[in-house]
Amino acid sequence: MDPLALFLVLLKASGLSLGGLGSLPLLRQDLVVPHIATEAQIVEALAIGRLSTGPNGLYVVSLGYQLAGVVGAAVATVAALLPPLVMLPATALARRWLLSSAFAGLVRGAALATAGLLCAIGVSLIVPAHGPLVWWQPAVGLIAAIVSYDGRLHPGLLVIGGAAIGILVAR
Amino acid sequence: MLQLAKIWFAVGTQSVGGGTSTLFLIRRFLVEERKWITMREYTEAWALSQLSPGIHIVALAGLLGRRVGGTRGAAVSVAAMMIPACAITALMTAGYGLIQDQPLAVAALAGVAPATGGMTFGFAIVMARSTMQHGRAAIVDIAIVVIAFAVLLATTVPSIAVIGAAAIFGALALGRGRPTSPRGAE
Repeated sequence: MDPLALFLVLLKASGLSLGGLGSLPLLRQDLVVPHIATEAQIVEALAIGRLSTGPNGLYVVSLGYQLAGVVGAAVATVAALLPPLVMLPATALARRWLLSSAFAGLVRGAALATAGLLCAIGVSLIVPAHGPLVWWQPAVGLIAAIVSYDGRLHPGLLVIGGAAIGILVAR
Repeated sequence: MLQLAKIWFAVGTQSVGGGTSTLFLIRRFLVEERKWITMREYTEAWALSQLSPGIHIVALAGLLGRRVGGTRGAAVSVAAMMIPACAITALMTAGYGLIQDQPLAVAALAGVAPATGGMTFGFAIVMARSTMQHGRAAIVDIAIVVIAFAVLLATTVPSIAVIGAAAIFGALALGRGRPTSPRGAE
């Protein structure tokens, strides 16, 4: 994919989302639906993002690398960095507005909608729309959801556990 | 400035698995060990970072870095945390690319996909919970989550329209308080 086009897609997703995974619904719509990326690439990027260091949301760097190599990873990094840094001038210039109840409500509404969209993406990754449904995959997804909600087990171990079950059952 | 860069480099390379461990390390290094930031300043910066678009911890790094070392401090903090973490992520992706066609890797992916889906679902529930109001007001919040969920699964309405509509509705009707749980920062 053309790095500039990739940068613009990633910048839009980062700029219009909240939180590390918040960009996922927008990226899925802009990259998977038009067949620029596959669902498998998204899954791989999410898994690598969970196993890697740093904050949540670096799955976009993995996705950028898969779509456009080192340049793709570099543009993904810049696209992920720019939108949150808007807060630096914003807190200096418009602190009172940022702390207003209307802005709090705007963020709350966007966050709740993002949570609903992420729930739907989670379900679609557990139960793919295309291909045969294998009995053990929903079980793995359910366990991962419960353990992830509980928050005590490291997310990297969940990815490794899922891979181990896949090797044992699907091979 | 070198000390600041070292701290954020450590955060970027030692926090594995996302927001919670990153937040823990930031607080430990800056608040508890170096005492460059007070707990109150940390909490205030965290609350402001929750309002930022994109990855909240990038905003947090910028705000705390600016508090310690001005604009240069912000730039050093964000770069020292993100560049090594992004490089590690790219290297891991390149490494995976070498083995992704192997039968073992294909089988592993069959298990990683539902695990990742479950983690995304669990994360979304945590995100919703940390954002929700209490009592009867939570009904409206739950309705927004359910509507967004149904729209994505059952229609072709763009996600951006869903988020935009919910944001406008939120500005008009939900403007009371902000998330209070650090888990929402993930």
